[in-house]
Amino acid sequence: MATAKDADRVRPALTLSKEEREVEVPEPRLNWMNQSREWGIRVKPGKKGLTLGSLNVGLYGEIPMNWPDRTRNPRGAIGVTGSPPVAIQIKDKVDLWAPCAADLYEEAIQRRWAPATDVDWTAIHPLPEDVERAICQVCTEICQYAIIDVEVITSWQHQMAYGYHEVKQFLATTSLDATRRHEAFRKRALVNGGGLGYEGPCQVSRLLLESRGGWTETVTGLTLVRGLFTQVMIRYLTRFAYNGVERKIYECVTQDLARLLTYGIEHIKYALGHAPDRQGSIFTTLAIGMRMFNRDLRDPVLREALAIIFGGGIPGARNEGMHVFYEMLDEYVQELLSACQYLRLPVTMEQLPRVLQKDQRHLPGD
Amino acid sequence: MDQQLQNGSEFELDLGWMEKQGEWGVHAEPSKNGLTLADIQVGGYADAPDESRNLSGKPRGAVSRPGSMPIGNYTVRTKSEIWLENASFLYEEALQRQWSSATDIPWDTIEPLPDDVEQAQCQMATFLTEVEFVAGDVPSRWASQMSPDFYEARNVLMAQVMDEARHMDVFRKRALANGGGLMRATGATAGFVGGIDLARDFTEMSSRLHLSGEGAVLTIFRMGELMAYNDAEKAIYRLCAQDEARHVAFGVMHMRYMAANAPERREEIDSYLDEAEAGMLTDAANPAGQLNQTSESLSIMLGGGRKYFDEGFRKLVSIRKRQLQEYQKRVISAGFGERFKNGRSRLHDMLANVAN
Repeated sequence: MATAKDADRVRPALTLSKEEREVEVPEPRLNWMNQSREWGIRVKPGKKGLTLGSLNVGLYGEIPMNWPDRTRNPRGAIGVTGSPPVAIQIKDKVDLWAPCAADLYEEAIQRRWAPATDVDWTAIHPLPEDVERAICQVCTEICQYAIIDVEVITSWQHQMAYGYHEVKQFLATTSLDATRRHEAFRKRALVNGGGLGYEGPCQVSRLLLESRGGWTETVTGLTLVRGLFTQVMIRYLTRFAYNGVERKIYECVTQDLARLLTYGIEHIKYALGHAPDRQGSIFTTLAIGMRMFNRDLRDPVLREALAIIFGGGIPGARNEGMHVFYEMLDEYVQELLSACQYLRLPVTMEQLPRVLQKDQRHLPGD
Repeated sequence: MDQQLQNGSEFELDLGWMEKQGEWGVHAEPSKNGLTLADIQVGGYADAPDESRNLSGKPRGAVSRPGSMPIGNYTVRTKSEIWLENASFLYEEALQRQWSSATDIPWDTIEPLPDDVEQAQCQMATFLTEVEFVAGDVPSRWASQMSPDFYEARNVLMAQVMDEARHMDVFRKRALANGGGLMRATGATAGFVGGIDLARDFTEMSSRLHLSGEGAVLTIFRMGELMAYNDAEKAIYRLCAQDEARHVAFGVMHMRYMAANAPERREEIDSYLDEAEAGMLTDAANPAGQLNQTSESLSIMLGGGRKYFDEGFRKLVSIRKRQLQEYQKRVISAGFGERFKNGRSRLHDMLANVAN
């Protein structure tokens, strides 16, 4: 291979036919040369390599508040005019931006994992049938959450302007994360003498899929309702894992979800910081999300399955397991309220459904 | 609740859901490659339906809940519209071969290049950044419209979306790493009729994106040795070629499945191939095509500088031929080789006039 120094003299060989050697060569126009908005950029790799965020130098780092260009011109390139537009709907930075997106993108790539090989599937052993059924039921519902996450994210990604490529690229990692989450939990359900369970209720999923008005509102549901709850649930599942297989899956999924939550919360913060009038719609979306979540929680299936896991079986589920389940809900509420406080969203415990209020909930058996 | 526990009373459990679980007693076994998607194709869980009636997003094989709402709004619900036989393999390979443009490319091997070569590299990097956007966004949009009963195929597309995000970023990095910058976009992926964006059918989109579009780019990446001036560029082309080969394989294998299982659509697919062939050398999305912005920059890269343009152009012509020949092999492999015998394909004429 040629080096920089002899680039103008030595090129690798490509055997050309006689006909190819005799091709008549047109005179080059070269009208594309010397066409750059900023030349002479030399970004050097840092201790984390050459990262996406480090490219934001000079005009390449100028990220405007509005990106009206509906073509695929890369940010900083000389654009093409007169092309038919593509279907880009999100053109304002406030509608998708999070300052951490480029870092989260690189982190996602560094922390990639493969359920097939990063989990020691031989480390699983038969469990009592009630526990196995409960785990398989929880796996089924988490699979369904992941399926919906993919559909939600991918239905928005292509609508986002290319000037904000950091967000688009980060979202590509999140949909692969969700794909892998579906894969990992499906594998767990089918590896230990069990199978998939009963389809979960769909009210929160419905909220996420039907939230067509704005990505920020979708992110509100995806992060503060579905994502945060799933994160807390998986934290509790880690505490009560029955083997190394489950522990490893939960550990990896927790990392993946943490990035989605970070993006989501930071995006909402950015949106509220730059468009305070959005607070009303975000607040209302969250309130609707809580109602949908409440409807899903009325369904006993996930609650009972988790209680069986936490209680070590059906007998334990009737007291200790259910106690842990409600402790888990309380932890979710605390995290939700903390996030709202960080976002300066005026959400209080009293505004939440009664089942989420420790002192107000009607318990099964009351 | 605490009081209830202290009183010793217990929560009542319904547990009716335990009688509503899917096929039970499944023991998927890991193989030498770990526990792969292929390994969990056991019992009824292996069966993707010919027509999916799953509109609520439930995992395939889970028991339906009566009254669940059709929130999925899936437009792709027929197996032949999306299926391919080796999706599980392609997906697992994609996960195993993920790479990082930040740390897997030896960026420190880049040294200053002559200005004409650097400009050519940067123009090509600008173009590739631009076209990788479409290769990520379009599969992403389709994935949101596919029944999860065909999750294996959907998973491959999600891996592709990730691959394309990385391609966008690695070519942007290349443009900004060596004293250059981004140059002029081409508009190659604008919303033209017959473009990848506007396809209303998945197979139509796949024929344009995977078979002809990415196929042409794959040939270029495979020639990366001829265009690379340092180990960083060499690694970029090699790793992108690995990814691109999977995407092309998706298209070929999907079309093969379609040919075998939906013969009534063969004529329609031949029409897509007619369009693909017509645009193969004229379409701006092929960097080795006739758009001077990309073909001239490639010629400079291949020749070793502006003053070796002629030599580079002749190599470019050779690469065009390879693109056409590789396309032909893929179409034959997909089960549509008859078009090269019955006179429908224009490929023979195109090969004869490849320099024009």
